[in-house]
Amino acid sequence: MKPTDQTDIERQATPIIPDIIPDQTARTAKIRTDIHTATEADPTLKKRIAELAMPGASRNLNFFGKLLVDCAEKTIWERDTATLPLGCRYWRRKARDFARQYIRPDALAADLDPNNYDPKPILSAAAKAGFQTAMMPFPIGTAEPFAYLRAAVMQPAVIAEEFATECGGIGLLLLAHHLGCAPIMLSGHIPSMLRHLLPLYMRLKKGAAETMAFAITEPGAGSDVEETEGGAQAHLITTAKPAQGGYIINGRKCFISGGGFAQKVTLYAKLEGEGIESWTCFIVDKDMPGFSVGRLEHKMGQRASDAAELILEDVFVPKENVVGKLRSGWANNRNVLNYSRPCVGAMALGHGRGAFERALEFCRRTYLGPKRLIDYQDVQYTLSDMAMSLWSARAMIWHSCAQLLRCNQSSSATAKVIASDIAVKVCNQAIELMGDHGYVHANSVERLWRDSRLTQIYEGTNQINRLSLIEHLWETEFDK
Amino acid sequence: MSTNTFEMNSFIDTAHAFAAKSVASIFDGEHADGKLDKIDDVLSTAFSIGLAASPDPNQPGYDYGIWGASLSETGLAPSALMLSSVAEVCGGMALNLHVQGLASQIIALASRKPASPPTRVAPAIQEEFGLPGWGTLNIPSLDAPARVISQAQKTKKGYVIDGVKPFMYAMPGAEAAVVFCRVDDNWGCFLIPLNLTGTQCSDVGVRSGLRASYLTHLTLKDVTVPAEARLDDGDALPLLMRALSLNWLGLAAIGAGIARGAVRAARKYASERYQGGTMLENHPVIRMLIAGAESNMEGASALVARAADIGLGTPELMRASAIARLTGMQLATEATTDSLQVFGGYGYMEDYGMEKRLRDVTVLKSMAGTPQYLKQFIFESGEAR
Repeated sequence: MKPTDQTDIERQATPIIPDIIPDQTARTAKIRTDIHTATEADPTLKKRIAELAMPGASRNLNFFGKLLVDCAEKTIWERDTATLPLGCRYWRRKARDFARQYIRPDALAADLDPNNYDPKPILSAAAKAGFQTAMMPFPIGTAEPFAYLRAAVMQPAVIAEEFATECGGIGLLLLAHHLGCAPIMLSGHIPSMLRHLLPLYMRLKKGAAETMAFAITEPGAGSDVEETEGGAQAHLITTAKPAQGGYIINGRKCFISGGGFAQKVTLYAKLEGEGIESWTCFIVDKDMPGFSVGRLEHKMGQRASDAAELILEDVFVPKENVVGKLRSGWANNRNVLNYSRPCVGAMALGHGRGAFERALEFCRRTYLGPKRLIDYQDVQYTLSDMAMSLWSARAMIWHSCAQLLRCNQSSSATAKVIASDIAVKVCNQAIELMGDHGYVHANSVERLWRDSRLTQIYEGTNQINRLSLIEHLWETEFDK
Repeated sequence: MSTNTFEMNSFIDTAHAFAAKSVASIFDGEHADGKLDKIDDVLSTAFSIGLAASPDPNQPGYDYGIWGASLSETGLAPSALMLSSVAEVCGGMALNLHVQGLASQIIALASRKPASPPTRVAPAIQEEFGLPGWGTLNIPSLDAPARVISQAQKTKKGYVIDGVKPFMYAMPGAEAAVVFCRVDDNWGCFLIPLNLTGTQCSDVGVRSGLRASYLTHLTLKDVTVPAEARLDDGDALPLLMRALSLNWLGLAAIGAGIARGAVRAARKYASERYQGGTMLENHPVIRMLIAGAESNMEGASALVARAADIGLGTPELMRASAIARLTGMQLATEATTDSLQVFGGYGYMEDYGMEKRLRDVTVLKSMAGTPQYLKQFIFESGEAR
């Protein structure tokens, strides 16, 4: 699929929200037409305002002065894209086109009836287009190597924003796969990469509808496994017992994103008789005897992707499926979170942007008396606040991604918290701007709001993430 | 407020008992919104115990149900508190009782009473653009900011009504709507049976929350009604002002009730859930969340109580109700979302009912006027005082 250079203005030609008020009767329709054509702004004043605006006013500057003025008619999206390394620009455009072509048409139905949503076609299309292997650079994966070296998670992050703009559930379905692969990549364990990641990536590049999932949460330990102090006191039940040629794992994991569909799971278990310090990452295949998927949760949002309970009853895992060293799981897990949190922030940003774009279109199309909603100053003020908030969230996310290959705990946590809080705020503003239209499912804004609310909870609640920053910077910033 | 404490408590006890027994019974299944097919039974109970008001004087709730006919005797506080009590368990069910009471109250206040009033009625206030702004409220034909499009034209036998009243909330089985529209340059208020030729109720479709209540767009196409269908005697502005005031106050009361239910649930969960080596409630961050939610919830309740203490039919009530709807609802939403956060991942799942509370209060927050609208309204109504 070739990415295009379209700007967001194309949305005006293709409505993304339907008309939901029934057709007016002939009499009331005529009254509406009269209202809309009755009032025109004073043409002389309009002309003066146009001349005073910067594009007009800057004509009075000299040559060099004109050079220093940026009056280009570019969207925020285009301006931001232009600041990215070439590889990231490529993926950003490609992801937006993909999201509009494949995700948008399925979004409403997948949210309404996730049980009957078949994810295989979109997984296959995404894999063929290279999205499912963008966590690793070419030639193993499909990420552009130079951009990757500059900012390892920038490419998945820009993809995440675009996918999540159209649908949080389908976005999560596609993106949680990277989270499942990340422990292998971040283990630095070459045999695991060659044995597990490489063959998977080869299949994905041919269009396999296959995913991996990441399993840390247990029924009695959610936030505990995402923060050091909690981890030290966590009640963990999933245990690996050494056996001939491998380990036997018993226990349960819950709320595993994509866990119901994934073929393989990177799953963390403590070693028998030891605590969380012994946490080790194992690759568990769903076909292994004793492995089963239990309850699929009924979620408020991001419904197209399942949140599954995984049950392990005497599951034999060969020692080749141990990721990295024994007892390296805790560090591996924490580092996975450091790399994934900017992407979760990017997903949140996408939810907020999706709601903003839809509210903007609503305000362009809806009349209040003689004027469109967008022509009212108080509405403009709110829209401006939303756009600024989203822009600042993107700045923080991209900053956290651009940490010279590695992601660090504090900037990743900050990106996740800032972006998710802003996303929920912006989605709420979008709903409120649209009034009763805002909470109607067909308009998608309420769906994006529901989707966004999860980003304040998963990958560590925002409370836990705030504590992560303190923990990371305690010696250097807070208690020096 | 003329209701004594004893009477007030008995009203609230009735609402509490109704919420705990009848309303809670719909939530014994898996689905967060409850068994919606049981709602009619629950509403029948509400009518039989006099909690649901009705324009029909033969119904037990005619006088003292929520927003019943004796509102000038009881004051607003009992109805507001009863709505909050029911909303602690289910916001949608409280909304059913509220819209029923609101429409009943308009009919009870009307100078021209219908000869044989229906039992279940719904208020149809909104126009295509939302609610009338301050200028339009005073002169419905004025673009201030948008003129009223729904209109009734007088004929020899009565009126012909045209227009669309979008987002009309109604309890299941509503038989008639109390419709506000323009008659020449004044407001008119009509009781229109929903089975009349030319009326059409189209379902709004799936929405975020408050699913226990019906939501439709009411289309009126050349609907012919007799002169007796008109409830006002030439200008329905006083009826409309009361409708707006009670609507905002009722929604704010429901929001406060949802928040109270959420905070209670969060406290209970925090005392039972073990996390980080101790019970959740022992973590200072969790205490901050819950205490902040409680403060916000009390703030929302206080704004409702303040408005409910103001005399009926006064401009002050309208302004205080708008403030309760704007700021009280914001506080209630914050209380609810912070309470959900206490549950972590479990709050996002349907099991504990927290996500339903958040969905419900978010819909409430978006009904009956955007923040931009309410702020303009509050500003202009302040000038008028």
